[in-house]
Amino acid sequence: MKRGKLLVVPAMGWLSLFFALPLLIVVVVSFASRTAYGQVVFNWTLANYIRFFEPLYMTIFATTIVTALGTTLLTFAMGYPVAYTIAMILPKKWQQAGIILVMIPFWINFLIRSFAWVIILRSQGVVNTILLHLGLIQKPLTLLYNDAAVLLGMVYALLPFMVLPIYVSLEQMDKRLLEAASDLGAPPVTAFRRITLPLTMPGVAAGSILVFISSLGMFVVPDIMGGAKSALIGNIIQNQFLAARDWPFGSALSIILALLALVMILLYYKALQAQKGGQAHAKNLA
Amino acid sequence: MKKLRSLFTLSLSLFLLFAAGCGGSKDAKKEEAKVLNIFSWADNFNPQVLKDFEKKYNCKVNYDVFANNEELLAKLQAGGSQYDVIQPSDYMVTTMTKLGLLEKLDKSKMPNTANIMDKLQHTTFDPNGEYSVVYTWGMTGIVYNTKYIKTAPTSWNDLWNPEYKGRVILLNDSREVFGMALKKHGHSNNSTDPAQIQEAFDDLKTLAPNVLAYDTDSIKQKFIAEEAWIGTMWSGDAYFTHKDNPDIAFVIPKEGTTVWADTFAIPKGAKHKELAEQFINYLYDPEVSVKNYEYIGYNDPNTKAASLHAKSFIEDPMLKTAVDQIDRGEWLTDIGDAITLYDKDWTELKTIK
Repeated sequence: MKRGKLLVVPAMGWLSLFFALPLLIVVVVSFASRTAYGQVVFNWTLANYIRFFEPLYMTIFATTIVTALGTTLLTFAMGYPVAYTIAMILPKKWQQAGIILVMIPFWINFLIRSFAWVIILRSQGVVNTILLHLGLIQKPLTLLYNDAAVLLGMVYALLPFMVLPIYVSLEQMDKRLLEAASDLGAPPVTAFRRITLPLTMPGVAAGSILVFISSLGMFVVPDIMGGAKSALIGNIIQNQFLAARDWPFGSALSIILALLALVMILLYYKALQAQKGGQAHAKNLA
Repeated sequence: MKKLRSLFTLSLSLFLLFAAGCGGSKDAKKEEAKVLNIFSWADNFNPQVLKDFEKKYNCKVNYDVFANNEELLAKLQAGGSQYDVIQPSDYMVTTMTKLGLLEKLDKSKMPNTANIMDKLQHTTFDPNGEYSVVYTWGMTGIVYNTKYIKTAPTSWNDLWNPEYKGRVILLNDSREVFGMALKKHGHSNNSTDPAQIQEAFDDLKTLAPNVLAYDTDSIKQKFIAEEAWIGTMWSGDAYFTHKDNPDIAFVIPKEGTTVWADTFAIPKGAKHKELAEQFINYLYDPEVSVKNYEYIGYNDPNTKAASLHAKSFIEDPMLKTAVDQIDRGEWLTDIGDAITLYDKDWTELKTIK
C-alpha cells in the first residue's frame, strides 16, 4: 500500500505546482489593487469584489449565464438524438466509428475551426454564395457578428461534450429493462420516457455541467464569430489582463466564475445522490 | 492571518524562484557563442536581414515573438534580462520607462539612428529619445472601399452615415476607438478629463448600430472579402489590404488622428548590450533598411534610404498618406489611472444591442 502511494507523487506534485499554486496566486491578487501603471500592490481590499456588483458587470454576468444556459439546452436537444442513434440504433460494429466521427473536430485547432465558420457564413461566404446562385435570396444575409452566430459557434464547439457522457450512460443501461417494458405492454415512447430517459439522466447532467461551465468562460467565439460586439464575462476577464492591465479585478472576476462552476458541480452531485437514493428506494419496494 | 500571509509569500517566492531558475539555466548553456535575443512582433523583420547580421557579426539571433504589449510587459517584469532587444509600442515605452525597465540608450554607439526622420526623434512618449528609437510607424485612418463609397470620406463623422449601417468596422482597441471619438470632438486622444471621455462615449453609443464588428487581428480579411465598406485601420494594414483588393483606399480625417510606432529598446540588465547596440545600428544602415522595409511593408523612417527605395514603394498611396499627413497625428501615451475610465465605458459599449 505504501509503495502504491508513492505512485501518486508525480501527479500530486504536478497539480500542486501548476494548478494549486497559480490558483492561490489568483486568489491573492484578487484582493490587491492596481497602480497607475498597472502594477499589482497588495493592500488587502474587497474593492474588486464590490465592483463586480455594479449594474454593468451584473448585466454582463446575466447575459453570460443566459448564453450558457441556451448553449446547454441546444446541445442537449441536438446531442441526445446523436448519442441515442450511436448507442441504440447503429449496429455494434459501427458504434466505434460513430464516436470517432464525433471526436474528429478535436483534431483541428479550435481557433482555425472558428475562422472556418467565418468563411462559411460571411456575406461573400459559402452559404450566401449558394443561396444567391439558386436565386433564393436577392442580397446576402447577415449570418455573422450577432448573438445567433455566437450561440451557433458555442453549440458547435461544445456539442461533443454533451454527446459523449450521454452515450456512455446509454451504453451502460441494462437493455433488458426495455424488453421487460415491452413485454408488459409499454409502447416505445412510454418506455423511453419512463426508463431510458431517467436512467441516462446522470449522463445528461454530466454533459450539461461540462457544456455550461465551458461556455461560461468562452471568449474566442464572441470575439471571432460575434465580431467582439457582445461581451461575455470571459471577454471582460481577458480585457482586464491585457488592455486595462487591471489584474486584481480580472482575478476577482475569475474567482467568482470559478465559484459559480463549483456551485454547479455541487448541485450535480446532490442531484446524483438524490437519484441514487430514489433508485435504491424503488429497488426496496420491488 | 500573519501565518497565512507568510505562507502566501513563501509560495509566491517559491514560484518565482522556480521561474527564475528556468530562465537562468537556459542562458548559461549558450555562454560560448555570441547570441542576440530579440523579443518582438511576428514577421517584423526580413529574415534575410537577420541572416546577414548573423554573418557580419558572427553571432546567432534568437527571435521570440509576443502578440501584444501587455504580454511583453509581463515577461519583462518576470525577469527581462533574458532579452537583449525588445520592441514596445509608443505608450508602452512610457510605461516601461516609468517602471524603470529600460536601459538608457547610448546613441554614440548607434550613429545610424541619426538617420531617423526628425519628427520621429522627438515623441511625446519618449520626449528626449533616451530610451527608444522608432522602428516602424504609421497612422490610424479611415479605410474604405471605393466600389461602395463613391465620395471620399474627409471626417470621422462620415463613419456615422446611416447608409453604412452594419458596414463599419472599428479597431478592437479601447484607446483607438475612444481616441477617434475624442479627436472628432477636437480633444486629445490622451484625454484624462472625464467630461471629454463621456462626450466621446455618448457619441460612440450612437455609432453602435453602424458597427459590423470590432476587429484588430483579422480586419484585413474583412475588407478584402468586402464584408465591410468603411472603418478605422492602421496605415500598415491598409498597405496590405490595398495589395489584395485594389478598390481599397485610405484617408486621414481632417480632425486629426493617432500616430503610432513600434520601437527598439534595450531592457535593463540585458546580457548582450553591445551586440544589441550593433543590431539596432545595423538596421538603420540605409541599404539594410531598404531591404528590410520593402519586405515588411511599413513606412521606412530612414531619411538616408529614401533615394534608394523602389519608386513603387515610396509612392505607394497607402504609405505616402501617412508620410504626408504625419503632422495631423498625436502619439498615444500611457494615461495612468484614466485607463479604468476608458475600460468601463468600453465594456459598456459592448453591451449595447
